[in-house]
Amino acid sequence: MATIALDAMGGDHGPSAAVSAAARISLERDVGVLLVGDQAAIDEALRRTRYDAAFLSIHHAPQAIGMGESPREAIQAKPEASLLVGARLVSQGHADALVSAGNTGAAVLACAKYFEKLPGVPRTALAAVFPTEQRRGRHDDPFSLILDVGATLEVGADALVAFAHMGSAYASRISRNANPRVALLSNGSEDYKGTAAIKEANQRLRGDGRLNFIGNIEGVDLPRGKADVVITGGFVGNVVLKMLEGISETVVDIARYAYRHKLAWRAGLFMLRGGILQLKQLTDWQQYGGAPILGFDHLFIKAHGRSGDRAIGNAIKVANKAVKSGLCEEIAAHLAE
Amino acid sequence: MSAPHIYRWDLDKTYLQTDFDSISSLIRIAFQRAADKTNVPGSAELLRLLRAESAGRALIYFISGSPAQMRSVLAEKLRLDGIHYDGFILKEQLRNLLRGRFRALRDQVGYKLPALLNARLDAPEGSEETLFGDDAERDAFVYSLYGDLLAERVAPEVLDEVLELAAVYPDSREIIFTALDKLPPCDPVKRVIIHLDRKSPPIHFEAYGPRVVPVYNYFQAGLVLFADDRLRAEAVGRLGTTLVRRYEFTPRMLLRSFQDTLRRGVLDYEAAQRLGRQGVRSGIDAEVVRLFAQEAEEMNMVPVVQKAQHVPDYPALLRREQNRHKIEKQRRRRLQGRWL
Repeated sequence: MATIALDAMGGDHGPSAAVSAAARISLERDVGVLLVGDQAAIDEALRRTRYDAAFLSIHHAPQAIGMGESPREAIQAKPEASLLVGARLVSQGHADALVSAGNTGAAVLACAKYFEKLPGVPRTALAAVFPTEQRRGRHDDPFSLILDVGATLEVGADALVAFAHMGSAYASRISRNANPRVALLSNGSEDYKGTAAIKEANQRLRGDGRLNFIGNIEGVDLPRGKADVVITGGFVGNVVLKMLEGISETVVDIARYAYRHKLAWRAGLFMLRGGILQLKQLTDWQQYGGAPILGFDHLFIKAHGRSGDRAIGNAIKVANKAVKSGLCEEIAAHLAE
Repeated sequence: MSAPHIYRWDLDKTYLQTDFDSISSLIRIAFQRAADKTNVPGSAELLRLLRAESAGRALIYFISGSPAQMRSVLAEKLRLDGIHYDGFILKEQLRNLLRGRFRALRDQVGYKLPALLNARLDAPEGSEETLFGDDAERDAFVYSLYGDLLAERVAPEVLDEVLELAAVYPDSREIIFTALDKLPPCDPVKRVIIHLDRKSPPIHFEAYGPRVVPVYNYFQAGLVLFADDRLRAEAVGRLGTTLVRRYEFTPRMLLRSFQDTLRRGVLDYEAAQRLGRQGVRSGIDAEVVRLFAQEAEEMNMVPVVQKAQHVPDYPALLRREQNRHKIEKQRRRRLQGRWL
């Protein structure tokens, strides 16, 4: 059984959301959770919660890194911060993966400090999923994977090729998609379009028989789900992801506005409620389970800073699934071939 | 020679894994054979160890809300588990039904309190007691009240108020007061162990003081009994081994359970260290002992200050429990409605 280290102090809601998530997961008796953070605060929250002691433990960490702190300075100044202690515990084998809703930059640096990059990985990547029209894999998964979404802003062809392998391994293990379609995000579907790095990566991936590379895709192809794994640099990836999140939130806001302002619109929305609920569920980021940082010898799942207990709980489940399916080993094998 | 120690056990959800939360499960239980009944992991091993550790001098009694008609099946189950017991009290549910005492079918205070007090009349003088129950009913409340009544820490008017609140039938009230009149003042209840079948939050039991210890599994109960000098380290090791070999526990799960007892102050550091020392001497798997010692060391915790035992405000506690029970019932009904 896997043990997932959870940074209890990270995120906008602090220990209450993390403890509540860990307690709920412990009742499912499928994975152990190691809560890392201020023991007194965690214990105080735990004694009011239903949990199973055989699936939950605490490691005291006296410091915490705030969401607004400068990652580099915080890492230097707070060596006993929960995020760093969590990463250290994973690297020492006390846990199999790390989950945090805390400061993203600090999380990447903490992983870089304690985890080893896998051979053949020039840059690590933060991956995220987004809902699409097409479904895929053994479980009819409605989500495509996009990476990188912010770990490295500018990347070369080497990194893009490595991202393609890491993303493909992730999709095959986590989405149970045996032959995921991998594509490069560009400003046109033709192979000659894009930056120099994209063009070179395209050429190299075309000649790589281990991947199901389908070429370049454009922004318009993202929500259609033309590719199962979308490869891009951290700068573009982050903009794309935030835009997709923004669109889904705006659609819901518009629907709310319509519901309030006209009786006819309200009646229309009421008749469409089944579809709207499905759409809302599909675009609900809390059920995605966080974004993995790929390329290290250990797994780290970054949950959204706003994550409540449900989102953190789902992040723990994804981490458990990744550990059980041997994701890091699969990525290492992909890159070693 | 000192008086024997008495262990009183509840059966359902404490010794046996019983699901009586729905009508269908109740019917299933009624027709279940002894061999089909399942133990709470480690409960049978713990009972056997308690008997063995006392060199046969411990007295073991069961007190259960199961109907008396199930006596033969339950006795057979205990025989299959190799449990030697000294007494077995079951509820006269059929008699309650025939006499129209419907309240008594579910009432715990009006059943267990007189049964415990009557049983105490036969207890050897000076014998101390460890009681086992669960969080599905009112075991913590009844056991705690029983202990404080024997020690004369609860005034008669408070008891009256409790019995009134619990709507206890007059004949049960009479049994309670008669038994109390006969019993000499004593303070035998040293420990109440509550198996958290429903995983109730530990805070629910804090009002009872440190004598009442909620445990998530019987390894934790073993640790508590070790701290109470009822079990040796070797027996705790055997209990852990049984849980790993027969009930899909892992050493890590035992370690987490151990850490939880330390954090909640159920097990103090002195006892944890003693466990390590004795464990090594008695030849428990040295790796496990080393892990436990390391865990206690690495936790780097501020030792938990043990609160002093006090007399709870029983009427207030009962009102709170009744209220909680009502809310839980409503929540379940709502959930059932949603499923329908």
